Amino acid sequence: MSAQLPSGFEALEPFVATWALATTAERAAMRSASSPEQRAAFFAAAAPLLDSALAALDGRAMADLAPQERRLMDLMYSLAHVALAVEIQGPDEIKSAPLRDRLHITRSATDRRTAA
Amino acid sequence: MNVAAPAYRPIPADDVAWLGTDPVPAAPYYDPAWFELERKAVFLKSWIHVGHVCELPESGSFVRRELEFAKASLLIVRGRDGVIRAFHNVCTHRGTQLVAEAAGRQAKFSCPYHMWTFGTDGALLSAPDFEAFHLEKKDCALPQVSLAECGRMLFVNFDPQAQPLHEWLGDYAERLEAMPVARATTFSEYTYEIDANWKLTYDNFQENYHLRFIHPRSGGAAIGADNQFGYPASVGFCGPHRTQRIWSNPAPDLKPFQRQASMKGIPALMRRGLLDLPHGRDYLAFFPNIFIIGTPTQPFSHTVYPIAANRSRGVVRVYWSGEDADASESFAREYSLCQIRDIHAEDIDMIERGQRGLESGAISHIHFQHMEALCRHLFNSVNERVRDYARETGETI
Repeated sequence: MSAQLPSGFEALEPFVATWALATTAERAAMRSASSPEQRAAFFAAAAPLLDSALAALDGRAMADLAPQERRLMDLMYSLAHVALAVEIQGPDEIKSAPLRDRLHITRSATDRRTAA
Repeated sequence: MNVAAPAYRPIPADDVAWLGTDPVPAAPYYDPAWFELERKAVFLKSWIHVGHVCELPESGSFVRRELEFAKASLLIVRGRDGVIRAFHNVCTHRGTQLVAEAAGRQAKFSCPYHMWTFGTDGALLSAPDFEAFHLEKKDCALPQVSLAECGRMLFVNFDPQAQPLHEWLGDYAERLEAMPVARATTFSEYTYEIDANWKLTYDNFQENYHLRFIHPRSGGAAIGADNQFGYPASVGFCGPHRTQRIWSNPAPDLKPFQRQASMKGIPALMRRGLLDLPHGRDYLAFFPNIFIIGTPTQPFSHTVYPIAANRSRGVVRVYWSGEDADASESFAREYSLCQIRDIHAEDIDMIERGQRGLESGAISHIHFQHMEALCRHLFNSVNERVRDYARETGETI
């Protein structure tokens, strides 16, 4: 199977299908729908790669990212969501999820824009 | 060199004693009759936040806003002349609501019922078989509502006699113009509906007394050292508006990834000159129902729109200047939005519990301690307007 992510980020390939999502609302929904084990596994694999991923993607406009790079970026966005679940909420994540789901994300600066 | 962290200096109770110290009646937080008076005395006479200039970038750009307190649907449009105006979203023929879309861009607005067509300035442009009416087009323009801008924030006022917005905002107009929101070109947004009175909802965000109990994990950075409640460094008042300066925790308890994530947006903010704005620790509350935070990494507004005595809608917007410059800045924006949403989610349930408790009628009064001064100030400001209105109109409270 061909690589879905830039070279150096092979460790994150198994997470692409679940966590490479195009909008903030979709990422928030996946955070709530995923299991504690899924979140823990993704956080453990992705958090150590945050610095290197952003360093690999920085230096050009977001619109200029190639598809593989865009997928990596989408994973890092999802990491932002999952990090809050794993690192901050911890055992409270389960009870906070239904409350959080009441706050509907209607627009996000990071949502992938369709070409004009 | 080790510099000792400055000690937290509590705000003396005497500083806010002028607001009063008595218990506050509970009924205004659930009574439908009181709510009806508030609707008329407060919401139909105050400048109400409805949007941001960046939502209307070009001529013909529009947003539709539903304001239940006025039973109104508003069409807010940038005209061909560049001026932003607010109109009732109501065809002047027979009252049909013109626009169903939440936002968009159009050169004109046609009523689907009989094709009366209006320009971006609200003027009636054409209507089929118009000669059959005994009317002139100039008398058929969309009804306008006062709209004004400060710090790129848009406000409307349903009172034709309202004082100008800048006068209404007083000394705080200048502060608003110096906040990040005044430089924003885009924003992220989340909204919620809550079974609670608008004041009860809003008050949750005016006091820090609850932080350590409701946000022990998510709000850990805001409390600590010699300020275990995260009380503000200072508070201030300006007519019905108020402010507080968020205490700077010298040693915030941040988790490793949280600390790493928080730093990702700093270089871009520095490049944009947004790190050292004068009100970076300030909370500005504009009467009756919006507050704005100047924190550069998380500049947001929170507006609580009343729907009924025991129902409200919250709209939270996190504002950003410029499109995401790079991956680091973009990541930081995502984290920032998620972080504040986590915190707000923890409040919702507690506010509704408060509403249910109050509606039982079990307690006649509620209590504000002196570090809940901003809540008391809101009640005082509402109470004064409701009582003045009742006196003028002969309505009973």
